[in-house]
Amino acid sequence: MTPIVELRGVHREFIKDRERVPVLQDINLEIEPDEVICLVGESGCGKTTTGKIIAGLLNPSSGEMLVDGRSLASRSGKEEKLLRRQLQIVHQDPFASLNPAHTIGDILSFPLRRHRMVKGSGGLQRRIWELLTMVDLTPPGDIVNKYPHQLSGGQRQRVSIARALTVQPRLIVADEAVSMVDVSIRISLLKMLQNLRRELGLTIVFITHDLALAKYFAWEGRIAVMYLGRIVEIGRTPDVIANPAHPYTRALLAAVPEADPELTRHKQAMRLRSDDIPKLTALPPGCAFHPRCPFYVPGTCDVNVPALTDAPGFAQEVACIPVQQGQAAQQIVEDDVDLNPVPAHGLD
Amino acid sequence: MIGFETVASPVGLVIGLICGIVPLAAGIHYRRLRAGIGGFLACTLSGFACGFLGGLPMIALTYAVVLSYAYVNREDPFTSRAALSEVTFEVTRAEQFQRTMANLGKSLRASWKALVRNKAGFLGFLGLAFFAALTIFGPSLIEYEGQAHIERREPGARALVAAPSVEHPLGLDWKGRDVLSHMVHGGQRLIITSVEAGVIATLIAVTLGSAAGLLGGVVDQILSTIANFILTIPAFPLLLVLAAVVDFDSDFMLAVLFAVLNWPTLMRAVRAQVLSLRERDYVEAAVALDLGLWHIISREVFPNMVSYIAINLIFTVRIAMYSIVGLVFLGLVPLREPDWAVMIFTGRQQGVLFLPQAAGMLLSPIVAIALFQLSLVLFSRSLEEIFNPRLRSGL
Repeated sequence: MTPIVELRGVHREFIKDRERVPVLQDINLEIEPDEVICLVGESGCGKTTTGKIIAGLLNPSSGEMLVDGRSLASRSGKEEKLLRRQLQIVHQDPFASLNPAHTIGDILSFPLRRHRMVKGSGGLQRRIWELLTMVDLTPPGDIVNKYPHQLSGGQRQRVSIARALTVQPRLIVADEAVSMVDVSIRISLLKMLQNLRRELGLTIVFITHDLALAKYFAWEGRIAVMYLGRIVEIGRTPDVIANPAHPYTRALLAAVPEADPELTRHKQAMRLRSDDIPKLTALPPGCAFHPRCPFYVPGTCDVNVPALTDAPGFAQEVACIPVQQGQAAQQIVEDDVDLNPVPAHGLD
Repeated sequence: MIGFETVASPVGLVIGLICGIVPLAAGIHYRRLRAGIGGFLACTLSGFACGFLGGLPMIALTYAVVLSYAYVNREDPFTSRAALSEVTFEVTRAEQFQRTMANLGKSLRASWKALVRNKAGFLGFLGLAFFAALTIFGPSLIEYEGQAHIERREPGARALVAAPSVEHPLGLDWKGRDVLSHMVHGGQRLIITSVEAGVIATLIAVTLGSAAGLLGGVVDQILSTIANFILTIPAFPLLLVLAAVVDFDSDFMLAVLFAVLNWPTLMRAVRAQVLSLRERDYVEAAVALDLGLWHIISREVFPNMVSYIAINLIFTVRIAMYSIVGLVFLGLVPLREPDWAVMIFTGRQQGVLFLPQAAGMLLSPIVAIALFQLSLVLFSRSLEEIFNPRLRSGL
């Protein structure tokens, strides 16, 4: 199947204070139709930039993005616009993503009218009601004439999703779409997204810093772990979660607290050599993770940039030279640190 | 101004009465008699004041308000709690039109509520309404005295100027003319010129500021440099020099000159606003939805600056009025009576400044100008509440 979006050797730089900040380096990613792919990583790792490039809001500094197997530049202007419109984004902050000056009905009507998605004012109203019903904002009559500030964070995020759906997209980038929403309604939002995905055949790029959410949402799809502008590990979610390959993924997974306190206490902690994240403007040579990596092999890791390829013993692809050479298997369980030791004599 | 020939004339009254029929009929039809009568009165008044210029827009506004009352209790599928399957969406043109008007009326009523809620702002609004009524209706009630009235000199008095009395409530000026008649006739030009100056300056500032903020790059640099350059020029002294050189045949030229010298402050503020607003997520979403540049300017960025621009417009009008009064006081623009500023000028020139009986003649224009300025400042306070839906929505 032709990937709906394919990033080929994408680099992206920003200029800040006359300094070049390489935010993305050599990103290769194929997004298949109907799949869920989750980009995980800490803040500053480039996951949002990747999302914006996919949504067509940023252009790569070098490398190219293919849509349906062809680059956008090779298409006619009209076709390019149509394709770009099919790639939508839902922002993180529900309080900033809706214009406070317009009612919800207006917000949804702008794209519908502009792209002639509906016929007549009756058709427009019907479509607005349909969209609001699709995102579980019912009864729609209660919502259409309200302003964004009259809605809760979760409701606004639903409106954002409905707005993205107005142009009948094939792919939606959900950029931390639930992280600013109250925990109690996250699950219902995620379920709604899953349902929409199944009903409409959407492809979803789910960006999050929360591995637990990624695990929940993308269980049927893939996870791509990013670190300092590169994808360090990518594979089917169950593979990555059950058998993480890259030391960074292992550290992330080890840090996820479990609901069971007993389990958390006896969880293997991943001891990193350093807790400091290097600056993007002064990236370490070789593998960017090597100053923190427990598998660090001097003379190799700090010289060669690892490629994202298969590794023995793993179903997923990983960018780590020691793992690819099968050297790092035993080193992980070096010491079983008690993360949360209970004092033997109780608390005085 | 178009339609101003009918100002406060019987023709205007007839126009107003005719216009008033529409909201009245709507009020009777929808059984909202009070709203209908209110609309009728508003239409009559504005038609009387400005002829068709005031009457026609007022028809639309009052009709919308009457409709919005009528729609409050009506079972409207679009605001009901019905589910999608229970609603039919096919509506006739007429129904669609009525719904739009009802929504307009609803936001008008919400704006009015916001205006009334802010005490200071409402006081300012009343002040402005007073001055509007004074300059529009006053002239047809009180006749203008242009000729000197030497016969009014008190026996034994050294000057014609006189303190307030029963038949001349604001006293007599240096030619023995009624000050009240000058007050009534002398405000229109000053107010209109100041408003023109403020509007032109704001238009320049908003256009250039948005261009600089949205386009950025070289355009931004050039425009900002020009703005900074003009900012370094002391505007009022330059205006003085120019006024001495340029012959101001029309008030409009004066307004334009003021605007040319006074747009940079607001332009920089607008530019800053645009720079901040264009980074918002909803603008990015509009880009992703391919809504077009014009939509982004007019529907995403501009509505969030309206209150800010309106407040600054008012402050520019204020400064313009002071500048014009200053120019007239220094005698640097052609003097035409009747004019509040000219009254102050002639008071000084004729040397009546130190006569106690000249208080009426001198203080009347000064107090009027000060009160007008105060009303502007107070009114600007409630603008934020009128334009910001977050503060407005009490309805």
